[in-house]
Amino acid sequence: MAIKRFPAPEADQPDRWEAQLRKGALEMAALASLWRGRLYGLEIIRFLEAQSRLVLAEGTIYPILNRLRTEALLTSEWVEADAGHPRKYYSLTDAGRERLRLMAAAWMDFSSGLTQLLEPVLESEEVIQ
Amino acid sequence: MTLTPELHPDQLLIGDFLSDLRARLAPMTLAEREDILREIAAHIHDSMELNGLPAATVIARLGTPQQLAADYRDGALVREARYSVSPMLLLRATLRIASRGFTGAVVFFCGLVGYLTGISFIIAALVKPFFPGRTGVFVVHHHLYRIGVQASAPPVPVHEVAGYTFIPVSLAVGCAAVLVTTFAIRRFLSIASKWQDKLANGGTSWKSIHHSAA
Repeated sequence: MAIKRFPAPEADQPDRWEAQLRKGALEMAALASLWRGRLYGLEIIRFLEAQSRLVLAEGTIYPILNRLRTEALLTSEWVEADAGHPRKYYSLTDAGRERLRLMAAAWMDFSSGLTQLLEPVLESEEVIQ
Repeated sequence: MTLTPELHPDQLLIGDFLSDLRARLAPMTLAEREDILREIAAHIHDSMELNGLPAATVIARLGTPQQLAADYRDGALVREARYSVSPMLLLRATLRIASRGFTGAVVFFCGLVGYLTGISFIIAALVKPFFPGRTGVFVVHHHLYRIGVQASAPPVPVHEVAGYTFIPVSLAVGCAAVLVTTFAIRRFLSIASKWQDKLANGGTSWKSIHHSAA
């Protein structure tokens, strides 16, 4: 893979790439947050905020949960709460658990490979500059 | 909408946000849409109460209704269309992808041409019994002149050669064009969404993992 520096790089490109990356990881993170049991949307957001730095517009999580539900990786149920209104709780289906296991294995494999690849890039930063 | 004096400004803000979102989710089924709105309303109330945040902050963190609705519809439209035979749904889903890239635009254009061609042949077949002299395959001096329906009877050296066999042939060609277009678009949508999944999952195809794991 050739990495080129173009004369006029688009200013928003790295940001967009990072946003894509976060968005992609968010699907796996949402599944992972449910590993230990059912949670509702806001709990998932808080869990992700506490566990990782996946800070996003909070709205992005809900369409992802909706899609994962239609793909039968999650189920949802409305549960009456003390808050005065019911909350929509999500939990992993068996297919969701299986998918998350595969995702986690692939992610670990992928990220350890990348970390190795990127180590020299971060080390030699000052030298090249 | 009537405004009662005791209605809190926060309630107005929330109401506006939700009704904007409701309008933008209009293509979905009623049940699906109300379920989404109920969940978002619960999120707003919980977030205000549990985090002690003002409504404006909570709503700002949700993103714009436009973006939120687009995120919901993106998944739904392409997913539905992959298993659909409705030309309108297929073209709409392709148009959605077309707005993001050149390939989608080309597929949308080809899809449109494919459907129009198919429909033209089917219409020509249906018109033949009523205007036999003006419909069919027209030849002049052994060269093809035109296929289809003419506005008026063509000039004398031109003559129609297909006769009534034009009806089944044109129907078959038309249906074939519609079917081929439908399956081509579905194939494209399924490839496009797999490609999107790949992109979203950091370049890994889950299918291939499945196979290697099995």
